[in-house]
Amino acid sequence: MNALPNIDVATECEALIQFLYLAPVGLAQTSIEGDIVLINPITSQLLMPLSRDGQLSNLFTALENVAPDLRHLVTSFSSARGMICDAHRIRLYAGTRRTTEPETLSLSLLKLDANRLMAVLSDVTLQVNRERLLRQNEAWLNAILTGISDYAIVGLDCAGCVTDCSDGVSRVTGFGTDAVLGRPYSVFYPEDSTTPDRVLDRLREADDNGWSLDNGWRIKADGTRFWGSAMIAPLHEHQIHDGERAYCLIIRDITDKREASEIQRKEQSCDHLTGIANRRAFFDAAELELERAKRSPRPLSLILLDADHFKSVNDRFGHRAGDQVLRHIADTLASTFRQIDVVARIGGEEFAVLLPSTNIEDAMAVAVRLQKLIQAQIVHVEGHDIRYTLSGGVAAMGTDISGLAELMKRADQALYAAKANGRNRIEYWSAK
Amino acid sequence: MSAVIALDFEQSGIGSKIAALTKAELDVLDFGVIGFDNDGIVRLYNEMESKFAGLSLEKVLGFSLFTVVAPCMNNFMVAQRFDDAAISGGVLDATIDYVLTLRMRPVKVKLRLLASPGDRFRYVLVRRDS
Repeated sequence: MNALPNIDVATECEALIQFLYLAPVGLAQTSIEGDIVLINPITSQLLMPLSRDGQLSNLFTALENVAPDLRHLVTSFSSARGMICDAHRIRLYAGTRRTTEPETLSLSLLKLDANRLMAVLSDVTLQVNRERLLRQNEAWLNAILTGISDYAIVGLDCAGCVTDCSDGVSRVTGFGTDAVLGRPYSVFYPEDSTTPDRVLDRLREADDNGWSLDNGWRIKADGTRFWGSAMIAPLHEHQIHDGERAYCLIIRDITDKREASEIQRKEQSCDHLTGIANRRAFFDAAELELERAKRSPRPLSLILLDADHFKSVNDRFGHRAGDQVLRHIADTLASTFRQIDVVARIGGEEFAVLLPSTNIEDAMAVAVRLQKLIQAQIVHVEGHDIRYTLSGGVAAMGTDISGLAELMKRADQALYAAKANGRNRIEYWSAK
Repeated sequence: MSAVIALDFEQSGIGSKIAALTKAELDVLDFGVIGFDNDGIVRLYNEMESKFAGLSLEKVLGFSLFTVVAPCMNNFMVAQRFDDAAISGGVLDATIDYVLTLRMRPVKVKLRLLASPGDRFRYVLVRRDS
């Protein structure tokens, strides 16, 4: 029986091939382990610049540098079929060679059955930038319009020091007016969550954008913490002398909303395996910090860390033990660095820490402390006692550095030197 | 077939030799040849490349290389090299490892990128890694 006598199979086949060649999104079919079976050209266009080994035989390997937790995401997906991730955002390296190179990719992974995955990949750089602006506006409206039960209004001078207080200040924070007058508004912040530079940064950002908002831990007079939102708005007109600038700070206790907003934040910004910041959150935070350092110069340091011989941990003790070690690194990082430092997992066994207002000597000191701490510890996994070490590279922002990519490159060179000099050590970049 | 001119993918100065070949001579080469003009429009497409990609000549000739014919090369590793060479007015002759998606299968290839100021066409040569 010949049901479709007029259709030439070869012509049909060519039309289908061209349809897939021209599809403006990346499509790939892989095994459950990520081995690529079918792939269209846009996928190759997007992945080849990222691929560590210059190959496209495995999707997870090709994306390892920018989305290290994919494999874990897939293996921990317990359903027989279904969407593993839907439009998952992947942040690429900052400052690539041409401005039209993608900055953010979107990845959806669908589990077809026990053996097959479908992946959809697209460049969403423009969309992400548009959304960022919208999100800021939304955050601002949320801050002023919702759940206004109690609030503290604080007047600030041009240096961020308290000039007057509403009655709400003692209700929300427990501080009497006398205790805070003349002191910088960081008095409402836990000690390691801000710096004198950051106090001024927020004022500058309020000048530029009309407001500055941050949610996070705040501190009361008795030393207890609460989850608060702090919005700063300028009270002066534009274009006046620095000394005449004045601001209004509104603090609200939003402890009851913390859980919901933290879940949302973690989904977007945290590494699936370790719970610390992911690449995307790291690059966003780092770019903001570089902007700040450019506007009002101050020290800024970056530490890149890499677990030594990590592959052999995986080989000897299995992937679960490897994951346990990665979690141990993340936990140790989080407890060693300050709240204001940005601690992130940016590659398979590669971690980064950005230290605002910190010079290279201080960054070195804390990196060495971390390296010695790790060296002295034992991770217990499934009856094994695992010892491991870290190598690290430190670099500081300099006037001869134009952007994040260059700073990362220097730290990476120092890390390479640490590896070359025998591992389990920290090196720093210098001009020589 | 005795008149076949044996060109080697790796031989030096291959660009000018390819420019001198007829369509029939291009078709017997054992590697793919794509020639495109200064606007990025495909003007030459040999038999081997047509077989690799599963596309016939009429689907390719007259269309834009990096947006319609081979979008997989539209990144800084390939397209940007040609753009940079055009801007600097320099000669481009580089061989890189790449993965093409021929008939939707990832295939490891060597690409040789050729551009020379004043020449009619620029070329991408494609050889499958064995």
